[in-house]
Amino acid sequence: MDGNVLVEFLGASIRVATPLLFVAIGGLLSERAGTFAVGIEGMMLAGAFGGAVAMMLLGSSGAGLIASAASGAALGFIVAIATAKFHADQIVTGLAVNILALGLTSFLLRGLFGGTAPVVQFETLAILPIPYLSNLPIIGEILFLQPALIYAAFGSAVAVHFFLKSGAGLLLRAAGENPDAAFAVGADPVRIRILAIVAGGAFAGLGGAVLSLQEVGTFTDGMTNGRGFIALAAIIVGRWMPLGTVIGCLMFGAVAGLELLVQGWGLPVSSYVIQMTPYVVALAILAAIGRGGQASAAIGSPFIRQ
Amino acid sequence: MTTTHQEGPPGSTGDTVPVVKREGGMLAKSIRANGLRTMLLVVAAVLLAFAVTAVLIAISGKNPSSAYWALIKGAFGSTDRIAFALNRSTPYILTGVGIALCFRAKVINIGAEGQIAIGGLAATAVALYLPQLPLVLIPAAIVAGAIGGAAWAWVAAVISVKRGVHVVLTTLLLNFVGLLIVGHLLHGILGDPGAGFPQSPILPEMAWFPKLLPGTDLHIGILVAVVAVVAGNFVLWRTTFGFRLRLMGESHAAADYAGVSTSQCTFAVMLIAGAMAGVAGGIEVLGVHYRLIEGFSLGFGFSAVAVALLGATNPVAVLPAGLFLGFLEAGALSMQREVGVPSSLVFVIVGMTMVFVLSSIGMSTRLRRV
Repeated sequence: MDGNVLVEFLGASIRVATPLLFVAIGGLLSERAGTFAVGIEGMMLAGAFGGAVAMMLLGSSGAGLIASAASGAALGFIVAIATAKFHADQIVTGLAVNILALGLTSFLLRGLFGGTAPVVQFETLAILPIPYLSNLPIIGEILFLQPALIYAAFGSAVAVHFFLKSGAGLLLRAAGENPDAAFAVGADPVRIRILAIVAGGAFAGLGGAVLSLQEVGTFTDGMTNGRGFIALAAIIVGRWMPLGTVIGCLMFGAVAGLELLVQGWGLPVSSYVIQMTPYVVALAILAAIGRGGQASAAIGSPFIRQ
Repeated sequence: MTTTHQEGPPGSTGDTVPVVKREGGMLAKSIRANGLRTMLLVVAAVLLAFAVTAVLIAISGKNPSSAYWALIKGAFGSTDRIAFALNRSTPYILTGVGIALCFRAKVINIGAEGQIAIGGLAATAVALYLPQLPLVLIPAAIVAGAIGGAAWAWVAAVISVKRGVHVVLTTLLLNFVGLLIVGHLLHGILGDPGAGFPQSPILPEMAWFPKLLPGTDLHIGILVAVVAVVAGNFVLWRTTFGFRLRLMGESHAAADYAGVSTSQCTFAVMLIAGAMAGVAGGIEVLGVHYRLIEGFSLGFGFSAVAVALLGATNPVAVLPAGLFLGFLEAGALSMQREVGVPSSLVFVIVGMTMVFVLSSIGMSTRLRRV
């Protein structure tokens, strides 16, 4: 394997891992605070859509990113109110929100831009080289010559890592591990969970922005295509730890990078088999890990004041 | 929390039978309190969702009342439309019953899409390659569909039960794999080379489902769906297995403690749901398309989950819920053609209804507990 191929492979791995990482970090916040993040797929889709619409209408990538985060957060707010406030079943509410996001984005896309299959296209986000570092041989090209959101994704993972160790992070984890104890020390687990889900939705929305604004420069119906669920798998691989989740996402990114290599070699492998790989690998990894990791103790159950 | 168990009096019908107490999967607790109240609740949630959607239609610059009028005409306007809607409802009812049983036992199987795909694949293979079975070709193909769907559900169950991976993840990931396997085969050995679209050759005519109503497209699948509803209802309320499922719905730990093997029950209920989804896949192939088409099961998985949920995870109520979705879709498709309002509004309405229903159920539990 010569150097160029290696650079290409690693670069592709990181690019594919980026949207997953945003979404996984969002899901991790929600799950550590005690709410299953099944709706994260829908929040990602909403983010991809919101970003694309703002980009089309306003032509500014800043507005696009804000709209992405806001759309994901808005959908997160629905999940938060339904589950934390009204004690709706977390998993099924997540599924409902996924359906809702699919319907709303597809409906509004046609409502806003007309036609049965409207074409929405814009420039993708530019590459942001990091001064000096991007000139490093090999590593520079892989790590420091990438679009801006890639740095943001890995930065968020580190930030959330330190946040969870802070006082506020401790309360967030308490809301997930033992909400009664959190309540006893004067915190409001319901509010914490709502905030965690909404913040998680914003991260997931940014993950969607990576797809629509940075990768392809358009929005298509259901374009997240199960990535939210792959992100959930990455959280499990990372054992609900932010830095572990980075590794989980990079693993799935590497699978995609390998696919690229295989295609490049021109092996006679069906494109269907190649598309299948991430899902099969996710299943295999989850099965291999088995019961290794532990979710928050109180995940899935609503906080009810005694 | 007390767990006293009440069994329904013999001879009573499903939706009035007192359910195992408390926390019975999803909506069961309110059914126990009052079947009528739950029905009203679901109807109110549907109406609310239609109202919110009307605002969206208005925002997109169309007239909501003419859109809804087109929707009603599209659903009920002619015998052909009704036949179309009934055919559309059939897979939802069939898979909805299986998923209702799963959800009742807190086994969150969202793998119907993949199970339908593999079921349809198996049914197609039998119908195409075993034409020497003229009289029993249709039953053989449907049984093959059931086995295919159950086998696909079995894979998810093995990974979940043996390795402790959440069923939501295993079933969902396998959906993608199942769909892609069908696509792969349609580009290869099962494909129709001249078609220019990933689909199988047309099935021999003796494998086509008989029509229920001559002169329309309505095939006998809806009867199969009704049988499934009756059978599902019997299993849930009249058998030991059904009791175990309901017990698992209370709490897997409690069921374990009571000597119920939750892993065996999970396997069993997944196989049943997979088989029903597989039958639905076979019926789509034999009754609607007369061939296997790539993506024919797309979207069915989530629709079936919605149907199971709107049916309060009660097999009897899955029937009206499945019909509702079938007619809604039939109406929405013709509304899209007539007045240009996108048919994806179906997902908006369904998703919103689910959130409303889930929230009000959660809320009513909270009020009782305080």
